[in-house]
Amino acid sequence: MKGFDLMAVLLNPEFSRMLVHGVKMTFIIFIGSWLLAMSLGMVLVAVRMLPSRIADGLVAIYVSYHRNVPTLVQLMLWYFGISSLLPDSMQMWLSDHNGESVFAIIALGLCQAAYFSEDQRSGLRGVPAGQWEAARALGHSYLGAMAYILLPQAIRNAMPALVNHTVSLFKNSSLAMAIGVAELTHAVKEVENQSFRPFETYLIATLVYLVCSLLLMWLGHTLEQRSRMAGAA
Amino acid sequence: MAMLQSMFEIVRDNWLLLLVGQYPNGPLGGISATIILSVLGIALAFPLSVLMALAALSPWRALRWPVTAIVYVTRGVPLLLIILWVYFVLPVLIGQSVPAFTTMLVTLVGYEAAFLSEIVRAGIQALPKGQTDAARALGHSHLGAMRYVILPQALFNMIPSILSQFVSTVKETTLGYIINVPELTFAAGQINNRLLTKPFEVYFILAISYYVVCWSLTLVISVVERRIAARRTSSLTAAASALPATPASASGT
Amino acid sequence: MSNAIPAGEAAPMIQFVAVHKFFGSLAALTDINAEVKKGEVVVVCGPSGSGKSTLIRTVNRLEQIQSGSVLFQGRDVHAKLRSSALNHLRSRIGFVFQSFNLFPHLSALDNVMLSPMKVNGVKRSDAREAALRLLDRVGLSAKAQNYPAQLSGGQQQRVAIARALAMEPPAMLFDEPTSALDPEMVGEVLSVMRTLARDGMTMMCVTHEMNFARDVADRVWFMDAGKVLETAAPGDFFRSPQHPRAKRFLSDLHTR
Repeated sequence: MKGFDLMAVLLNPEFSRMLVHGVKMTFIIFIGSWLLAMSLGMVLVAVRMLPSRIADGLVAIYVSYHRNVPTLVQLMLWYFGISSLLPDSMQMWLSDHNGESVFAIIALGLCQAAYFSEDQRSGLRGVPAGQWEAARALGHSYLGAMAYILLPQAIRNAMPALVNHTVSLFKNSSLAMAIGVAELTHAVKEVENQSFRPFETYLIATLVYLVCSLLLMWLGHTLEQRSRMAGAA
Repeated sequence: MAMLQSMFEIVRDNWLLLLVGQYPNGPLGGISATIILSVLGIALAFPLSVLMALAALSPWRALRWPVTAIVYVTRGVPLLLIILWVYFVLPVLIGQSVPAFTTMLVTLVGYEAAFLSEIVRAGIQALPKGQTDAARALGHSHLGAMRYVILPQALFNMIPSILSQFVSTVKETTLGYIINVPELTFAAGQINNRLLTKPFEVYFILAISYYVVCWSLTLVISVVERRIAARRTSSLTAAASALPATPASASGT
Repeated sequence: MSNAIPAGEAAPMIQFVAVHKFFGSLAALTDINAEVKKGEVVVVCGPSGSGKSTLIRTVNRLEQIQSGSVLFQGRDVHAKLRSSALNHLRSRIGFVFQSFNLFPHLSALDNVMLSPMKVNGVKRSDAREAALRLLDRVGLSAKAQNYPAQLSGGQQQRVAIARALAMEPPAMLFDEPTSALDPEMVGEVLSVMRTLARDGMTMMCVTHEMNFARDVADRVWFMDAGKVLETAAPGDFFRSPQHPRAKRFLSDLHTR
């Protein structure tokens, strides 16, 4: 085995280009799917609060599906399965325009939305019933009570879980390599194939992921501390 | 509709492959491999995780820091990358080539042990301090108190979380696909490569199979949870029952 | 909106007309007919389970009724109202809860300021000024920036009273305001309530504090098993109760 030489990988323009592109794609996938997941998660919680049992059941099925089917399989179903059901013109357009990334963002976003909606829901349930009564007794409307009194507390309750799931989503971006997205893990395999230096390449990727995950966790922790209701348990 | 019919046909024609892979003409695969990987993975990870949890709680830095570091790294790096690492490092360490199944098993054991150790640690810390005090007052050593008083209670309370981690493990076996472990997802890939014209049906079958397995396991978990909650309210305090009984799976794949 | 009585000077502030309420098959309130006049202080007492809290919660529709009507300033609270009308009605009725229900994510000052701003549209600077004055009135101006978790039970309840007063309601309802407090803090809350009464606020209080009733109430309503069994001036009620169950209730209190 060749001696350990980090620079051989880092300084090589071709390899570093591939790795940097990989990091870029990882972030595109991560941020895209996070935005989708957060907003869809809130929609799901809102739908669940409707007085209809059908709405509640549909969301429950949605959540159950996305939590019990492995994420990789969900990705594959979208990219290999659902894409084949689309009209040919759309399939061609997609393959010219980074279809893999689109499907990756959709699949990961939809999957994570299930988790986020459950976190947000527990957050809401953690707000004591007396808060709702006090808000209504003061004359706040449904929306006013939600906006000023219930949701601020619900979000604070849900934060630890949301942060955890955000980090999971970040790591899950690596799964996109299975459908050909050129994100970091994919780039790492390519570089390793060409440079014959698996140790150095993997190390670089590991450090990138680790630093980013720790940063995300730290960010989440700081947000939690800042927004904690002073002196609250 | 026609799709449902073709799904039936696919299952009818390929059920053996999905069930046991190419055995006996090859290694055991399909859903059997998935189950064996998951069960072995969790079973071997469990004792390791208890040791790691005890180390993380020990008063000696030499034990605490390495374990805490391992847990952080495992939580911060994607499982896929860890699989690639093990795939590369293991043959070098042992000096001979390692079949993909074994690589996957070793990875899962390490990965699950790290996550399980956090669960066990939380379970131990959730017990009221009075338990340790009472055990030590009776003359038990630290390890003795752990063995006879703390761990039995903590582990019992943590059964739903441990089962939940098991469900995660089942889902994580799918990543073996990347290094060609012959489990269920790999089998589905093989079928798809052969048929080529019915990807949706094949992958839908795959999704439903996992859904059925994991959903049933989750059902078992809720039943177990209820039984435990009934037992809990009699003896343990609010501190222990304040823990969420099934935290959303820590590894989240 | 149905007007049962023309809203004039002599119109009662709160009126119960043949009110019935059930929890499933359990009769929680049976044929309640009573009224609270403007400026009156009414204390509702009775054994637990008598329906006192349920009764007071029907006034701002935190509890529904099955028949009869509850009128506030001549307006039927339980009529079919648009949500904006109901919200407006509620904002005109001050309610103080047994468990305070302060908003934990807001400071004491913000708790008091929030609803005048968001429900009544008061300007932030005016709301702030009024809130500071109210906190001063309940003796807590020093705690304006503190959060509920940093305040004692008695302090939290006083902030809750200020919060309700901030909406400038013509009447205040108190649902066992001191029952959740440690004994040494009961006094500070009662003293705020006494001042309110003395300043002419219309009040309806569910409470076990009989000294408060004796000193401050204009009328005492005795309830048991969902019915108002006796209403009298406090002097008459405590010296010579008429209804046998009232007699038993008072003697139970004294023998504690």
